[in-house]
Amino acid sequence: MLDQSNLPIPTSFRNGVDRRTFFKVVAQATAAIGLTGSLAAKVVAAVEKGARPSVIWLHFQECTGCTESLLRTSHPGLAEVLFDLISLDYHETLMAAAGHQAEQALESAIQKNAGKYILVVEGALPTKENGIYMQIGQKTGLDIVKHVASSAAAVVAIGSCASWGGVPSAEPNPTGASGVNEILQGRAVVTLPGCPANPYILLGTLLQFVALGKLPELDDQGRPKFAYGRVIHEHCPRRAHFDAGRFAEEFGDEGHRLGYCLYKLGCKGPSTHASCSVLQFCEVVDAWPIGLGHPCFGCTEKEVAFRVPMLKPAEIVRPTPPATYAPVTAPVGVVSPIATGLGGLIGGAIVGAGIVAAKKMNTSQPTPVPPPPPPAKTDSGSKVTE
Amino acid sequence: MTGRWQRCVRLNQPLFTKPFILFASLAALAFLLGFFRELTGLGYVTGLNDGYSWGLFKNWNVTALTAMGSGGYAIAILTWLFNQRKFHPIMRTALLTSFLGYGTGMIALGFDVGRPWNFLHFNNPHNWNPHSVLMEVAVCMTAYVIFALDVENMPPFLERLYMSPDPKKSQLAMKIFFAIRATFPFFVALAFLLPSMHQSSLGGLMYLAGTRVHPLWQTARIPLLYLLMAYILGLACVLMVLLLSSMAWDLGWDMDILEQLTKLMGRITVVWLAIQFIDLAYRGVLHLAFTFDYYSIWFLLQTFLLLVPALLLWFKPLRSQPGTLFLLTFVLAIGGLIYRFTPTTVAFSPLGNYKYFPSIAEILMSIGFTSFAVTLFLIAVKRFAILPAPAGEITAGAAVQPFDTL
Amino acid sequence: MNVNRRDILKGLIGGSAIAGVVATAIPAADKDSGAIAPESDAVGLLYDATKCIGCRACMPACQNANGLTPDRGGSGGLYMQPDTLNAHTKNLIKLYTAPDGHERSFMKQQCMHCVDPACVSGCPMNALHKEPKGVVGWNPSLCIGCRYCQIACPFNIPKFEWDKVNPKIVKCELCRHIVGITDSQPACTKVCPTHAVVYGKRTDLLAEAHRRIQAEPGKYFEDRVYGEFEAGGTQCLILSHVDFVHLGLPTLGKQSGPAQVRHMANFIYRGFLTPIVLYGGLAGVMHYRWKHHLIHTETSQHHEGDPAPQQENNA
Repeated sequence: MLDQSNLPIPTSFRNGVDRRTFFKVVAQATAAIGLTGSLAAKVVAAVEKGARPSVIWLHFQECTGCTESLLRTSHPGLAEVLFDLISLDYHETLMAAAGHQAEQALESAIQKNAGKYILVVEGALPTKENGIYMQIGQKTGLDIVKHVASSAAAVVAIGSCASWGGVPSAEPNPTGASGVNEILQGRAVVTLPGCPANPYILLGTLLQFVALGKLPELDDQGRPKFAYGRVIHEHCPRRAHFDAGRFAEEFGDEGHRLGYCLYKLGCKGPSTHASCSVLQFCEVVDAWPIGLGHPCFGCTEKEVAFRVPMLKPAEIVRPTPPATYAPVTAPVGVVSPIATGLGGLIGGAIVGAGIVAAKKMNTSQPTPVPPPPPPAKTDSGSKVTE
Repeated sequence: MTGRWQRCVRLNQPLFTKPFILFASLAALAFLLGFFRELTGLGYVTGLNDGYSWGLFKNWNVTALTAMGSGGYAIAILTWLFNQRKFHPIMRTALLTSFLGYGTGMIALGFDVGRPWNFLHFNNPHNWNPHSVLMEVAVCMTAYVIFALDVENMPPFLERLYMSPDPKKSQLAMKIFFAIRATFPFFVALAFLLPSMHQSSLGGLMYLAGTRVHPLWQTARIPLLYLLMAYILGLACVLMVLLLSSMAWDLGWDMDILEQLTKLMGRITVVWLAIQFIDLAYRGVLHLAFTFDYYSIWFLLQTFLLLVPALLLWFKPLRSQPGTLFLLTFVLAIGGLIYRFTPTTVAFSPLGNYKYFPSIAEILMSIGFTSFAVTLFLIAVKRFAILPAPAGEITAGAAVQPFDTL
Repeated sequence: MNVNRRDILKGLIGGSAIAGVVATAIPAADKDSGAIAPESDAVGLLYDATKCIGCRACMPACQNANGLTPDRGGSGGLYMQPDTLNAHTKNLIKLYTAPDGHERSFMKQQCMHCVDPACVSGCPMNALHKEPKGVVGWNPSLCIGCRYCQIACPFNIPKFEWDKVNPKIVKCELCRHIVGITDSQPACTKVCPTHAVVYGKRTDLLAEAHRRIQAEPGKYFEDRVYGEFEAGGTQCLILSHVDFVHLGLPTLGKQSGPAQVRHMANFIYRGFLTPIVLYGGLAGVMHYRWKHHLIHTETSQHHEGDPAPQQENNA
């Protein structure tokens, strides 16, 4: 399980930490999500200036799995995040307040940081019947999110539910669950799909925003390219098995035990943009579906997860050559035996017809009369006519 | 009825006989398959592949069968250049077989090319590649059909038009006739030049393939061999058409003409074989003919089918029986067609491991296009005065003066 | 009229005289029949089979750069698995293994971009043509799909889309839609991790190839570069430690196919002189014959029962 020896000394309170340790924490965090080391300095500088960005975290139709996975980070640990890097001003799972106190905390956070806070949304929003299927304090989720997003500097949708609807949106989608980007039309929303989303992607996005004041480069679905730029298949540790044609055919068979490719068991790696193959979960190597021997089910993809059956093979959109090679001269061309037969038949028929015709010509005619001899030349020398 | 052919006659025979229906059906099938080809692509109706990209349509219907369609060219050279005017009565038959041979060859070609809409660009000489032998073949063949064969084949049709009760049509026919008569030498000279060019170039096409054609067939003399073989096959085709027509419709056997032509054909074949063998010896590859591998056997077959009839036709007794004459001509023609076809397909081996045999649809289309030629021939000889017959009782529909001078 | 040997002889002598005069007396215009030199800025590829590790990164790179649908072969949709160049594959890595297993080599197959290409020479419509820098390109708006290029190419490179109603000729065109526009080199050389295949001017590539040969004598087969002289020279060059024949490359002489055809065409046609002179001769003979034929037929006896001949002027 978790290797305790390498964890940084937990520092719950900023006051007790020296700058060097703090810098180390930030450096580890930025390294874990692939940002350069120089960014760490910027984060430290920004935080030291007291610029901990305000984060408001809303929950809607969700299982809270994304928050739970965030709790299982240690690079940095959630404590460091909460107290040193960001100012988490509203989070229904983690905050101590409840009831009216919680409502007031939300409103005051919005007003105090208007135009500057980051809104993180976890969970889908029901849209059917004006969104009555998700209400807090008699306000629908739709109203809440529109209200809070109106003065947010950035909106981040964490998890597949907030990104495109997730589990609640599975057929027949009785509540009309949608991603927050569909609700907030006309507004750029960073989507971090996954079920759960990998927490380091959120941390990376937030850190970049803190350090550079801007969001990472996004693809056409609003997903950060640094995490969602590749499909699992293009960076999978079992790819060599795929290329060599070594597949697990059934759960528990020889191939499965040997760790072969899970494509034939319905792995959606070829269709799924995510970073799980390089950035696993729970900070344990191979703590991700394929690593544990279960095919990927495409949890980040709207077209795949909860739609395509788990065991149905994925389509390979960008195929590459296998581990075998084309020979120097491969055979091409089929000789159809029926066509050959037909050709022979026709040839034979023509020859046969020729022979029959020749016989007929010889026998049907009497020996032809030879041409008349040329008439003798007359004295006048007139030319012979044809 | 026997006797010397002296005039052209229209056959007074019913058109819709069993053979006609057979040929017409095969032709209709070919066009149906051709329509299907236009909708789906060549890969679905042929057995062609990237190694053997030319198959029956180009190599058989065009290369081999237009050689058979060189009858007009062959007889015209005899009649006009060598002043053998006795062959004049068979000119119309020869010209008709030429027209049909070339016409159906070009129809097959039209179905064979992959992007026929770009044929429009053909009309702009600026697009022509002067170094391309295929360009020369295409331009020459088209010019031949449009400017020479068309004109040469007009007399029987003009004649019919002339016989129409409408005086306007009669006068039109005469006007056109006189226009042709005045310019005839220039068209006929063209009809000698153009086939000489493109029949030899059909051989030159394969010269670009270099060592991909087996050395028994690949030579710098291939244009000459192809040209001479076109002449031989032209004669053979006319001979076979005349013999079969005589057999079917009792046209009389003008053994004088038939024997003369066969004798000539046989002798030219011997000359052709000599040229080929001298060429093989000169290039030092004659021994390859006797290795008895696949190519050697094919070559020996081709040679055998040419040599034996050519030698046998030397003997007058064998030439004097029409059936024997026909059979020897037929065998010789097969040998000649094998020669025309082989360098393009059998003796052609592309780099790699390719196999080709025409698909069923391809075979049916190829036969169908040839059947189309036969169908049109049957229609023509029963509607117009084309086939030769002895002078005798008047037959309505005989060629009339002055149209029979052409 | 009987066979008149005089007439036959006259015809034969006349004909051969014309042909002989034309073929020998008129000097050959030899401008076009000689070898063609590569353009000074001709570009190409140098593929060194000894450096190729068979990673095949160049194959998907070529597919993507050219917008080709991958050929999945018989893989059930899993892989890109062409076993020959075809309408979906412009670039192919093949593996040669000697029967005794002691020799192995990869081979990258794509259009050789010949200096004097047979496909360009044969194409009736100039659809296949030499682009700037000697790249052999295909023009869809001129191509009639005759496939003569497939007959002509000694390397059997141009491929045809047999299953399409609007079929194209498919072959490597050195990424001419990319080079100089969005990038400086073709897709295959860009991704090659070992620089087994490199792009550059032919002169530079030849110099580099010779440098490698001299640096390690005996390493490369027959100490030579394939494509330096073959078929008049190719712009894509190959270095190999095994016999080129094993890599599927044909053994070719120094003279290109088109040079041979030009030589033959020139010998026969002499520019366009032969047809013109021949036509003149033939027309002259025909004119003479025709005159006599008309006189003859219009004064000959009628066939019995024929309608009276029209009184027409002789031509």
